[in-house]
Amino acid sequence: MSAVEDVRRFDAVEIELLWRRLISLVDEAAAALVRTSFSTLVRESYDFSCVVTDADGQSLVQATESIPSFIGTLPETVKHFIRHFPEESLQPGDVLITNDLWLGTGHLPDITVAKPIFRNGRLVAFSASTAHAPDIGGKIRSPEPREVFEEGLQIPPMKLLRAGQQDDTLVSIIRKNVRTPDQTMGDLWAQVVALDLMEERLLILMEQAGLDHLRDLAAEIHTRCETAMRAAIAALPDGTYTSSLQTDGLMDKPITLRLALSIQGDTITADFTGTDPQVDRAINCALCYTYAMTMYGVKVCTSPNLPNNEGAWRPIRIEAPAGCIVNPVFPASGGSRMLIGHYIPMLVFGCLGQVVPERVMAACGSPMWGMNQSGVNAAGKPYANMFFFNGGMGANMQGDGISCLSWPSNVSSTPVEITEHIAPLRVHHKRLRPNSGGPGRHRGGLGQEVLIESRSETPIAVSFLAERTLFPAFGIEGGEAGAPGLLHINGQAVDPKRQYVLLRGDTVLMGTPGGGGHGPASERGASALQADRRARYVA
Amino acid sequence: MIASLSPSSLSLGIDIGGTFTDLVILDPADGRASIWKESTTPDDPSRGAIAGLEQLLPRSGIQAGSIGRVVHATTLFTNALIERKGAATGLLTTAGFADVLEIARERKYELYDVFLEMPKPLVPRPWRREAKERLAPDGSIEVPLDVEAALAEVADLVAQGVTSLAICFLHAYANPVHERMAAEVIAKRFPQLSISLSCDIAPEIREYPRAVTTVANAYVRPIAETYLDTLEAALKRAGIPGGLFLMLSNGGLTHVAEAKRAPVQLLESGPAAGALAGAWFGRHAGLERVLAFDMGGTTAKLALVDDGEPLVAWGFEAARTKRFLRGSGLPVQIATVELIEIGAGGGSIARPSDLGTLHVGPESAGAQPGPVCYGRGGTEPTVTDSDLALGYLNPDFFLGGTMRIDPGPAVAALEGLSTRLGLEAGRGAPGIHDVVNENMAGAARVAIAERGRVPRDYALLATGGAAPVHAWNVGTKLGVSRVVCPPGAGAGSTIGMLMAPARIDRVASRNEALATARWNEIAAIFEALEAEALAIVDGTGADLSRRSVRRLADMRYVGQGSEITVALPEELEAKGVLAAFELAYRQLFGRTPPGANVQFVALRLSISAPMPGAGETLRIGSGQAGAEALKGRRRVHFPDTGAIETPVYDRYALIPGVQLEGPAVFEENESTFVVGPGARISVLPDGSILAERVA
Repeated sequence: MSAVEDVRRFDAVEIELLWRRLISLVDEAAAALVRTSFSTLVRESYDFSCVVTDADGQSLVQATESIPSFIGTLPETVKHFIRHFPEESLQPGDVLITNDLWLGTGHLPDITVAKPIFRNGRLVAFSASTAHAPDIGGKIRSPEPREVFEEGLQIPPMKLLRAGQQDDTLVSIIRKNVRTPDQTMGDLWAQVVALDLMEERLLILMEQAGLDHLRDLAAEIHTRCETAMRAAIAALPDGTYTSSLQTDGLMDKPITLRLALSIQGDTITADFTGTDPQVDRAINCALCYTYAMTMYGVKVCTSPNLPNNEGAWRPIRIEAPAGCIVNPVFPASGGSRMLIGHYIPMLVFGCLGQVVPERVMAACGSPMWGMNQSGVNAAGKPYANMFFFNGGMGANMQGDGISCLSWPSNVSSTPVEITEHIAPLRVHHKRLRPNSGGPGRHRGGLGQEVLIESRSETPIAVSFLAERTLFPAFGIEGGEAGAPGLLHINGQAVDPKRQYVLLRGDTVLMGTPGGGGHGPASERGASALQADRRARYVA
Repeated sequence: MIASLSPSSLSLGIDIGGTFTDLVILDPADGRASIWKESTTPDDPSRGAIAGLEQLLPRSGIQAGSIGRVVHATTLFTNALIERKGAATGLLTTAGFADVLEIARERKYELYDVFLEMPKPLVPRPWRREAKERLAPDGSIEVPLDVEAALAEVADLVAQGVTSLAICFLHAYANPVHERMAAEVIAKRFPQLSISLSCDIAPEIREYPRAVTTVANAYVRPIAETYLDTLEAALKRAGIPGGLFLMLSNGGLTHVAEAKRAPVQLLESGPAAGALAGAWFGRHAGLERVLAFDMGGTTAKLALVDDGEPLVAWGFEAARTKRFLRGSGLPVQIATVELIEIGAGGGSIARPSDLGTLHVGPESAGAQPGPVCYGRGGTEPTVTDSDLALGYLNPDFFLGGTMRIDPGPAVAALEGLSTRLGLEAGRGAPGIHDVVNENMAGAARVAIAERGRVPRDYALLATGGAAPVHAWNVGTKLGVSRVVCPPGAGAGSTIGMLMAPARIDRVASRNEALATARWNEIAAIFEALEAEALAIVDGTGADLSRRSVRRLADMRYVGQGSEITVALPEELEAKGVLAAFELAYRQLFGRTPPGANVQFVALRLSISAPMPGAGETLRIGSGQAGAEALKGRRRVHFPDTGAIETPVYDRYALIPGVQLEGPAVFEENESTFVVGPGARISVLPDGSILAERVA
């Protein structure tokens, strides 16, 4: 082996060809994962991602259908694996696994697996995937846990497979600790199928393209993305822009998030100093998730068309004091971290909207809403289900907000007919909430109202992801706020951050928040107003 | 042989697209086909069809009275959906669920776009009404249907001008009783109202796609009824004695009555015909697995054909807001020939991307201004410009010499692009060719992989103006060893229809574990589906003695959300069915999860039978024996060799049996077939050219 290897260069055609092939191989793996998964979270809600990185954990391409959080976290988790497992400790057929709250995605149900890929005996790449497991044990998903220990099984970075052989001890520990051993393990094997597929396709590609390693290709891809991102940032005026907002938090104690976003030349620093401290509830948002949500917000405003890889992130730095709610320290709980995290892109919009008002929208009826439901079925087997419901999008300069759309995440709802098949529930209605869209020249999107009744012979436990019941989605440029969310059990408003037990016949009413309006309501056109009334979007 | 002497034995194919109406008359006795292209008349598409017929008949010396059947494909209904020009449609749902159609999937099709536009529901909110009724997931009645209240809602809709009504109740796939009861009383009160039921149109679990499919049917149904009546009458007036048959999205034919009942089945009628042509030519070339590759001005389409039949998917997305973005359209649950559409065609524009790489498409220069070489004002280089610069196209014989294209400005535009991208001189043209081919090969790889197959098992079959130019090099990327170019590539899809069998697909929901399956009930469901499908196929006059019936099931591991469709063995019992499922699963995904149980989700029945008059042979034009096939030589670029001296042949002068070697270029009016160095080339009996890679 020569001490110095020639750096391979790629011209505008070669790089395009290789890039396309890499994207199609991760998309293929994502399609296989959806089709072989067991939980509604992957298959109906697309709560997963697939990535290929180089030997150093630098992401080359990520599946197009990934959700924003995992686009930011997954490459970082691969780098954590590399720190725990140096190259000499890895061999072909190994599959690494972890769900560590800080190394992963900020909550335990997201399990990340990664496979080292070797070519001619040399480590050249990793294929990796994160997916939301149907259950990870512990208290059912709710904001109640005070420490991560209550939230379920913690898997430190380990080997799930050693040279293709599964670790029986680990598998039996997982099976023993979760409510849904078959589904949780089934989804893990679906993830392994995706890793195998990426490995196989990547090795064929490297063979055909004559690539012994991916370092130069990764450098080329990252440099191009970094350059494009720097150019986009440099086009914005320098300065420090601040924004803050309040969330429902612990209901009796709202939480304030603060962001100072500084643009200096072609770099951005996002500083969360002044944000409230972490709390003893599971809404703490680990730094990995804060990072992902910040990057998402910046990308939407600056360079929405760049492909998913971390070259674009290099010009952006994050500062968040340890111990604040967007950088909590061990043993913080974080099961419902999106109840803080989904506000972060809005905070970024609050800052960048001062510079590029035409590229942002009013606040959305997010964080996403959800109902977790668990129980023991007639055969005595425990089970758990998670159902998502989305609020309205904020309006923007060009038009009204879209009703009931997942943002910033991208999880779809479970069809009612599927819900009623898999859970002892009856859905009485699922309809748009009139008047929930914030008035404005452009109206905010509508939220939805869902009424659910328990038909279970045995008591069932429910807990919720529910925010913006106190602080509605605000409007911008003179637009008004959307309607706040509401959560009732048997007709009574209840604390959305607590867990409840439902008996047969008990009902849950959820109203997701509407999006904020854009521009003064007095400027809304007559025909738009008439259309709103005719459709009873506005009563 | 006697049959061919009967007075009305000829078949007429009419394919009405957005721009052109293609007509083909086939004599199944000797395979002689005559082709005509007419401009489409959007106000009344039957007018263009008849005008074309009046040109074609005298030119081919055929009497209208000798046409025994007419086969028709049309994009009319898809266009009505895309342009939102359907009937005034109402929707009646279970109380509490009128907004299912608008709330949709709640998912973005593009992550970073703040200005996203989601597809508008086909029925606006004021016309979505609710009926008091409720079924449980097992189909049992929880709240009986309030007939009078439902009637009152519909009366209001009718008063507002609604002419077509979709009814979609929750869990109607499990029990149609309420939908049928409502339909009966509504039809009695409003006999003029067109009614579509979800239990008939798409009896599958998941209320959103079922509602969309039912509504789409209701939306196009009144148009379909009027249009088909008009066309039938026009054909009769033109003196054609034969019956009219429609091409379905599944690649089969049906009669007018079925097309009027469920026109949503015709949405992909045009593209399905194209895939069928691929299947027919593939079968005649003795190929088991074919990747039918069609490339026109704006898009390329790919369809997989296994054992002579195009693969059928059980749903597709119609009328996308963003043409090539999954999730931006309306999910329609009907059997459809599986097609992958890519924004890659002759007019696709090459530009530097935001990242300084070379992007080709999906923006297209179309026909106006068109590629730079057309000289109609186009300034950005396109795939056609690159093809011209590489020597694939002949500037003096474009569209058979009817249109002059100019290489000078094309080359200048290509060099301008190279400079902007920092490419070496001369790299722009091969770069564009390579990138657009990779876009198509990439889509093909994913499609083939999703089927658990490998590309090298397939032969590439090229139709459409641009596919024969690109097929050889796309084939190289995929590692396929055989590329076939049938004659008359431009009219391929119309020919495909004439070869199509009658085919009907039916589905029934069935939620049941394999281990405890009640096999006699399953057999009874299949019998009922078969009887229903058979009655329709019988009505087409197909040859039932040669029918093939397939029993399939959507199956999955308990707890999974996606199903795979498995062909069931003859004998319905647990062990054999499990083995069939596991085999199919392993083929797709490599491994089966340990210890998981298997369940049924739906049962599917597919019946197909050949049509009398469907051709077995084909002759287009005629090989003039003794004519000079070699037209000359020119320098043509190939990826491994650069530009080399290459013989150019007149395709019309080639006779079956001729053997040649690559490199070679074959010119015909509609297209140019380009074959690389070292290929073994032969002209097949039907006039197709087969090029094989010699290992």
